[in-house]
Amino acid sequence: MHTIWKGAISFGLVHVPVKMFAATEEKDIHMKYIHRECATPLRYVRKCPTCDKEVEWEEISRGYEYEPGKLVLFEKDDLDQLAGEANKEIRILDFVDLKEIDPIYFKKTYYLSPGETGANAYSLLLESMRQTGKIGIANVSIRSKGSLAAIRVIENCIAMETIFYPDEIRAVDQVPNLPEKAEVNEKELTMAKMLIDHLTRPFEPEKYKDEYRESLLNAIEQKIAGKEVQVAPEQKKTNVIDLMAALQASLEAVGSEPAKADKPAGKAKSKTARKAKETVS
Amino acid sequence: MAVETNTVVTVEGNNIPVTNPEKLLWPEMNITKLLYLEKLAGLSPYLLTYCRNRYLTTIRYPHGIHGHSFYQKNCPEPIPPFVHTKLWNGVNYINLDNLSTLIWLGNLACLEFHPSFHYIGDELPVEWLIDIDPSVDNEPRIMQAALLVGELLDSMRIRSIPKTSGATGIQIYVPIRRGYTFQQLRKIGHFIGSYLSEKHPRLFTIERLKKKRGTLIYFDYLQHWSGKTLSAPYTPRARPSATVSTPLTWEEVELHPDPRDFTLLNIERRLKEKGDLIRQVPPQNLDNVLSVLS
Repeated sequence: MHTIWKGAISFGLVHVPVKMFAATEEKDIHMKYIHRECATPLRYVRKCPTCDKEVEWEEISRGYEYEPGKLVLFEKDDLDQLAGEANKEIRILDFVDLKEIDPIYFKKTYYLSPGETGANAYSLLLESMRQTGKIGIANVSIRSKGSLAAIRVIENCIAMETIFYPDEIRAVDQVPNLPEKAEVNEKELTMAKMLIDHLTRPFEPEKYKDEYRESLLNAIEQKIAGKEVQVAPEQKKTNVIDLMAALQASLEAVGSEPAKADKPAGKAKSKTARKAKETVS
Repeated sequence: MAVETNTVVTVEGNNIPVTNPEKLLWPEMNITKLLYLEKLAGLSPYLLTYCRNRYLTTIRYPHGIHGHSFYQKNCPEPIPPFVHTKLWNGVNYINLDNLSTLIWLGNLACLEFHPSFHYIGDELPVEWLIDIDPSVDNEPRIMQAALLVGELLDSMRIRSIPKTSGATGIQIYVPIRRGYTFQQLRKIGHFIGSYLSEKHPRLFTIERLKKKRGTLIYFDYLQHWSGKTLSAPYTPRARPSATVSTPLTWEEVELHPDPRDFTLLNIERRLKEKGDLIRQVPPQNLDNVLSVLS
């Protein structure tokens, strides 16, 4: 696994150096956008409509549209300064019960391993969290952004879940058309509950497969095997040699100008038979 | 003729001061300022042909070739009445169109002359130039590289004249009919450069970044552009051998001459014998090539 961050968990006077790894990896199959006519993958440009030209990264700043058409401008450096110093720290503020955190809060999971020193501190934190069953709520500063996170134990590893700030969670009462105190038929309710019991199993995630991904992979295999493969036109490379040959041939067909006195006489390795033509003076 | 004090020369009816006439501009070749001005006068019919009515950039070496130097684009003041200038892009460029101006510049220790590729007030290039630039000093394959370029152009029905840059490289001069744009010529240049770097990958490169070229010879078709310059045919160069950018025949190139053999001291004799080799090639027609490339 590739380390994406190094820092430390801290709370009170406790300081536990850790390394961070991504705990999840999306397996979506990525397709490129292709120009149908020539099968070339598209290139994206950043273009300014006023100046009608392609814009380089160095020419780009940032703007916040506070009113339609009205912007306040920032440079990336200004924004970095606002974020303050990244101090490579996961600072635990409180401990709570896992049951108290609704899954809606969870963003992304990271595994934390012991850092260069402090393997003992790590084990201590791990054990104490496992035995108390508590979750740490922490402030994390990675690069220049601050985040809220939950620190918990997954098997024998400390893990960090970035979580949404409360104002980023939409209130469920905003959902339209939710039934208020609906009348439910007793018999139907009993049957439904029996059905649920009947289908209850221990959670075994391996049972569930990504069917769409599988059928897509199959379709891809079929196309490769059936040689329905489209090759993007090779840009330049061998075309140059062919084009030159074509050019020389077409010029011969057009009819060469009478050979004059001073021409490079082909002593430096040339394939074309020029010596014959040179004698026409 | 040892002249120790400042003096004045009369050129075309103009009195031009010569300061420090004994100052050694090319010490190894013993060329003083006064001798330089003499040589410049001899070169002038040829040099002026390629500088006249263009925006001039010149390089000055007030203390000779081993002293500090600087590019001069803005005409130095005070400007004598015989010097013609033209304002372009905020710079008051010198139009090197007469001998008096040339001598005046020579006195100011302007040792190198680099004119624009287009005439004053015009946008189209007057000629096409390709720079063949070695990445190592004393590149033994430079003449062979020039020959390959010349042969290739010839196979495309384009006649060209090779010239020493006066430094380490060779430049290929292609006289053209008026009407081709920089863009079109650059297209052909890119095509030829790509071909050569693919056909001879251990000899040519079209890599723009110097540090990535290694020891390969750089086929520079990009230098030919509006506002840019190359050393004029017949310009002196601030090199120890007092070289002059000299047009050669292809036969001469086959003999792998040393550019250092063409200097301020022997250029006059050569010119008497051979004349202006560039003028002997008519403007080339690139229409067929351009239509195939489009």
